[in-house]
Amino acid sequence: MDELIKKLQTDFDGLEISTLAKTRITISTKKESILLLLSYLKRMGYDHLAIISCNDWIKDNELELVYIVSHYLEKDYGPDSEIDKFNIIIKTRIPREKARFVTVLDVFENAEPYERELHEMFGIYFEGHPRLTLLMLERNYKIPPFRKDFNTKKYVDDLYGNIPTIEERKKGKK
Amino acid sequence: MDRNQIGKWFKNPSKMANKYSLHAIYFCTGCGIIEIPPSITTRWDAERFGIIPVATPRQANLFMITGYVSTKTLKAIIRTYEQMPEPKYTVAFGSCPINGGMYYDSYNTIKCLDKFIPVDGYIAGCMPRPEAVFIGVTHLWKLIDMDKANGYKKYRENYPFYRANQEQLFGDLDWPPLFPKENTNG
Amino acid sequence: MYFLHLFILALLALFSGIILVGISRKISARIHWRYGPPLLQPLIDVIKLFSQNSISHGFFFDFGIILTLVGSFILIFFIPVSNLYVMNSGGLIAVIYIMLLSPFGLAISAAAGANPNASIGITRKFLLSFAYEIPLLLILLSVMTHYNTISLVKIVDMQVDSGWSFGSGTLILSGISYLLILPAILGIRPFEVVNASQEISSGPLTEFGGKHLAFASIQHSLHTYAVLALFVDLFLGGSSLFGLLKPISSTIWGSLIGILVFLVKVAVLMIFCLFINAVFPRYRIDQAMKYIWKWPLLTAFVGLLIVSLLN
Repeated sequence: MDELIKKLQTDFDGLEISTLAKTRITISTKKESILLLLSYLKRMGYDHLAIISCNDWIKDNELELVYIVSHYLEKDYGPDSEIDKFNIIIKTRIPREKARFVTVLDVFENAEPYERELHEMFGIYFEGHPRLTLLMLERNYKIPPFRKDFNTKKYVDDLYGNIPTIEERKKGKK
Repeated sequence: MDRNQIGKWFKNPSKMANKYSLHAIYFCTGCGIIEIPPSITTRWDAERFGIIPVATPRQANLFMITGYVSTKTLKAIIRTYEQMPEPKYTVAFGSCPINGGMYYDSYNTIKCLDKFIPVDGYIAGCMPRPEAVFIGVTHLWKLIDMDKANGYKKYRENYPFYRANQEQLFGDLDWPPLFPKENTNG
Repeated sequence: MYFLHLFILALLALFSGIILVGISRKISARIHWRYGPPLLQPLIDVIKLFSQNSISHGFFFDFGIILTLVGSFILIFFIPVSNLYVMNSGGLIAVIYIMLLSPFGLAISAAAGANPNASIGITRKFLLSFAYEIPLLLILLSVMTHYNTISLVKIVDMQVDSGWSFGSGTLILSGISYLLILPAILGIRPFEVVNASQEISSGPLTEFGGKHLAFASIQHSLHTYAVLALFVDLFLGGSSLFGLLKPISSTIWGSLIGILVFLVKVAVLMIFCLFINAVFPRYRIDQAMKYIWKWPLLTAFVGLLIVSLLN
């Protein structure tokens, strides 16, 4: 792990690396170097993209994308062994209005459903993604539901509160 | 148990047979699906009440809505409910179909199921145990006896209002109306 | 006299068919350590199904299900019970023909319903029929050769004189082969491939509701009764009780006791099949065909050879 950190700091500019545990490091970087960093890490042997996640920093007016990569172990060492997977957490920030980013499908093929979910839940458009359709939700929302300025109670009252019961509809809606 | 009342059988055999042979469609949705397999297998045997699970809605009599209903599931529930032959009965588990329950402020779940398909009765519990399910079933028998479990008749008579509610929620529906409007004069 | 026989045979078949299905559900439940439904539960199901408004998919949908029911119903009249019989001409050869009417009717209904699950179920039904027809034909051929007749009534009468076919040395292999394929003809586990509700949402019965399903249920009980009654007539001596009933065989009391003995034999055979049904899972259709064409076919063939050599 330490050699990897040394190599990263010589080969890349503008990284902030912090060590969370013996097998876990966090890298904060600019959004322009994500593709290069991910393919570099994949070549180093970290070829398992675990998840792509997102945080909503509404006060900074930014969305933070989080990529977690790891590596496949040669065999299963069991839960009590000392050999643990190395996890690398990579974070970038993109602007919140008209959120756009580039897809990492060329590097990790299994990024497709994660980016689809982020598109429908946070409203991020991924350039180059072949299929940005609805995955779990049933309709499109004006404000994507996981953003912090989406008021769920108001949405519920507007949509479901306005549907009358059958008796009310029979008497004629007021 | 009033199974020995032969007189009732001869007076109205279809009502008694509808009571004692409720075939439930095996539609698994929501949290309560975990309570259905224990009810129909060996330990809490539901077959002695006449309830067996069947595979298609065309053969079914009873629809159990076990828990919350999301908007995606509601489309499937409406289509399944409309395929069942009449007379049919609906039973809902928990408090989510009544007023949203635990998910009262969720953008994705239905707050009151009775606005979209008629529900005959509710069983309390989150989720109700198999014993509570059986007490609910015997209560449903009493309702059928008193002719109060007529949700399917309400659906048939007030179909335009149900359809208007469904269209208000979903926009345009993919399937044609179940009971087409007859053209009336004036 | 003819109409009385018809009426009594039809009522007997319907009643015992329903009781047999009820016994099967009750005994399966008891083997599983639970209480089961009441014995008359299939009757309650049929009454409920008749009171439902079902949906029809056209003329052929209705026609197919009626053909199925008629096929099983007519089969009843060819199988004698004590000294009640309606049709004697044609005998076993007519039975072989008519046994194939019900799958044919079900195929017409499934085609009119246009459900892909139904077409998978019908494929399996025809494949299974094809599989068990071959040893069944060999078995019936050996019985016909041994008794030198095709009439079921004469076969039953000869067994009253000379003892059960199952106990005679020549026909025992054919009897064993029939016992081995009996679950396949009845459609119980391990050969429950056709109406597998978990895999293909109840196969050919997918689009049936209401009255159509009521007819299909009645056909299922009649089919169960007919297949078991055929075995009892051919191999277990019909309604003879080791020759004890010969002196009173032409009186009414003789007929009634004969019917009772017949029903007891059918029930014992059904319980034997139920013990197999309760503990086995389900074969795939190719496994089922491979099984039926291995040992049962071989046994039936050897039985036919023995019968033809010794006659």
